[in-house]
Amino acid sequence: MQRVAITHVAQSSGMESKESLMDFTYRVNKEILDKAGLKRREVGCIVAGSADIFHSGLSCANAFDWDGIGAFLKEGSRAEESAFSFIYGCMRILSGRYETVLVTALVKGSENPDNDPITSFYGDPFYLRPVGVNESVVAAMQMRQYLERYGVTEEQCAKVAVKNLGNALFNPYADRKRRVSLEDVMASERVYDPLKALECAPKSDGVVAVLLASEERAKTLSKKPVWLSGYGCSMDHFHPGDRDLLKGQLPAAAQRAYKMAGIDDPGKQIDVAEVCEPYAFQELLWCEHLGFCGEGQGGRWIDSGMPLMDGALPVNPSGGVLATNPYPARGLYRIAEAALQIKEEAGEHQVGKKVRTALAHSTHGFGGQCHSVVILSA
Amino acid sequence: MGNAVAIIGTGQTKHGRRSDVCYPDLVREAVTAALEDAGITLKDIDGIVLGTMPSMMEGVSSTHFYFAEAMGSVGKPVLKVETCGSTGQSIGHCGFFWVASGMADIVLVVGSEKMSEGDGQATMTTVFDPFFQRTFAAGAPGVFTMQSMEWMYRFKIPEEKGREAAARISVSNHDNAMDNPHAHIRTRVTMEDVKNARIITYPVRLLDVCPASDGACAVIFATGEKARKICRKPAWIKGLGFRGEEFFYGESDKAIWMSATEAAAEAYRQAGIRNPLKELDVAEIYNPFTYQEMIFYECFGFCPRGEAPDYVLKGTFLKDGELPCCPSGGTLCSNPIGATGLIRLAEAALQVTGKAGARQVEGAKLALSHAMGGVDQFNGVTIVGSEL
Repeated sequence: MQRVAITHVAQSSGMESKESLMDFTYRVNKEILDKAGLKRREVGCIVAGSADIFHSGLSCANAFDWDGIGAFLKEGSRAEESAFSFIYGCMRILSGRYETVLVTALVKGSENPDNDPITSFYGDPFYLRPVGVNESVVAAMQMRQYLERYGVTEEQCAKVAVKNLGNALFNPYADRKRRVSLEDVMASERVYDPLKALECAPKSDGVVAVLLASEERAKTLSKKPVWLSGYGCSMDHFHPGDRDLLKGQLPAAAQRAYKMAGIDDPGKQIDVAEVCEPYAFQELLWCEHLGFCGEGQGGRWIDSGMPLMDGALPVNPSGGVLATNPYPARGLYRIAEAALQIKEEAGEHQVGKKVRTALAHSTHGFGGQCHSVVILSA
Repeated sequence: MGNAVAIIGTGQTKHGRRSDVCYPDLVREAVTAALEDAGITLKDIDGIVLGTMPSMMEGVSSTHFYFAEAMGSVGKPVLKVETCGSTGQSIGHCGFFWVASGMADIVLVVGSEKMSEGDGQATMTTVFDPFFQRTFAAGAPGVFTMQSMEWMYRFKIPEEKGREAAARISVSNHDNAMDNPHAHIRTRVTMEDVKNARIITYPVRLLDVCPASDGACAVIFATGEKARKICRKPAWIKGLGFRGEEFFYGESDKAIWMSATEAAAEAYRQAGIRNPLKELDVAEIYNPFTYQEMIFYECFGFCPRGEAPDYVLKGTFLKDGELPCCPSGGTLCSNPIGATGLIRLAEAALQVTGKAGARQVEGAKLALSHAMGGVDQFNGVTIVGSEL
């Protein structure tokens, strides 16, 4: 079977950019092509990852994206979430029809409304939206259940924010850069009880690009290509009331990815994970669902120091989504960071241990409504 | 050329004003029909691709959540692909690549729109950027009319001749829709009706323009191996192409329209087609406006540039002509935008598998399907055949 690799990565800072979205996008795309020594015309196909009107002020986001991603008169497409665009790019290579695919995810969060009003539009206009449901509200309900069902403490959840914002200090691309203590997190405003302000992701700008290549092409383009070895995705019910918010679809998505990658003991076989945690406690819950620790053990897992930068299984050495949250692009940021760890190109936030297998995770929707899990290998 | 992929089932709703169903139920109707057509169940589906128009049209963002139960995607992998009006073709391409990649055996592709509950023209206006173009955007008719005028002026097509040919296209599409039980507009119109209809944006009149429809379409893709096992007569994917041009309308030449020309050229190259007029048996073109259909004929190489009206007037594209176009009645008679491009593909598949009923073109073996999106910015083409 055909294989697909990430050969190069380029990303922008998550901080507010003064450039127009088109220039902002162009700059990162130019950077990745220069790194690979490729001309635009030499790329087989281009896939964008972006969301429409509420995240960009424009309907049909691909229309505005098209020039900046370099897709003029090239074969291409656009997926609405960046992990989707990544796997669609991989499919194009695996089909044997393209040797290279450029995947770019982009958004300027600084130019559009807060995440809460935007995510309220996930809900239907009849039952959910009128009662004020949005991503943060569902996350708060999910956190309350998590605390009560398993006896995880608020302090244990807050520790995730301390860890990730601490890691972000070593990531030049991070948006929120601030050393915070457990007391700072616990004392920050309760925005949606029990969620505190520092436990919620900011809203960031961000353009990230990965160059994908077929096995043969990857070996000529890069000394250290990073291979896709597993992928899994699974989606939940529409109505939050129809779901057990603590038993979602992530285990199913992870099992698909592990099966494809031949992983049976994820806690041991995965060297580093970039997990999508727009809310601090979700990192703990997701780590349980990914099989890094047992059900309800997320609190003990963070206490043990395992997910710290120098721990046995570092989680979010980049600072994760709590530090940088370009909403529709955040999944591809996780994938790019996981690839950088394998390539040993993560700079100051490169983990101490040797990384052979890395996991990247993306989620969007209410309380993990849809999960994608990507396994990358050296 | 990689793994073989075929369409093993298609399903469409009755398109039109569907106040009898909610939006998810409209989707369910198409999905159920496609599964029945393929003779499989949701259990057999490995992945689901959805596409619609943007959130502003839907009233809900990320519609893959909203349709989770209706598409049967709970617990399954999904992909959400959107490229504006060309979404229908883009999701078909995604279904193709998912299967061709070897990551799935059977993929369900769903496109839908409930236009009676949204504001299509207001949404179209927000495709334009908010600084330079939006203030003078006038929805779809403004753009497409400007393009039609540019095309007629460029090729010195007399206005009366353009008018006559466009009216013929309206009449033949309406005639064809009478044979299509799914079509929204099923009324016969005369040349006089078209020429005397209310002006929308000069010279485009009411009967030159598609309706705003509610509707959904589902198409099931399978590997060659599965297709041969499950399906008596699959429709094989022979070639596909998608191209987009500059975002700012004024930067590209819409009379020549490179995205349409090159999307078709790419699909022809893959399918080994050199003379489309001779080799294709039927074409399902995305024709929301009659004048635009003629520009597509030229871009797709059905006739030389500037000569489409002559070909139309001599009946080349009628159902009994050399290359029947839009035997379904086309986009002109049903336009649930997010589904429309996929409906073109479904209709093409029905034609090459002999399942098109009263709208069947006798002996059709090779068919082109197409969709256009954005402010004249994107074009996607898929070619299907009765044989691999």
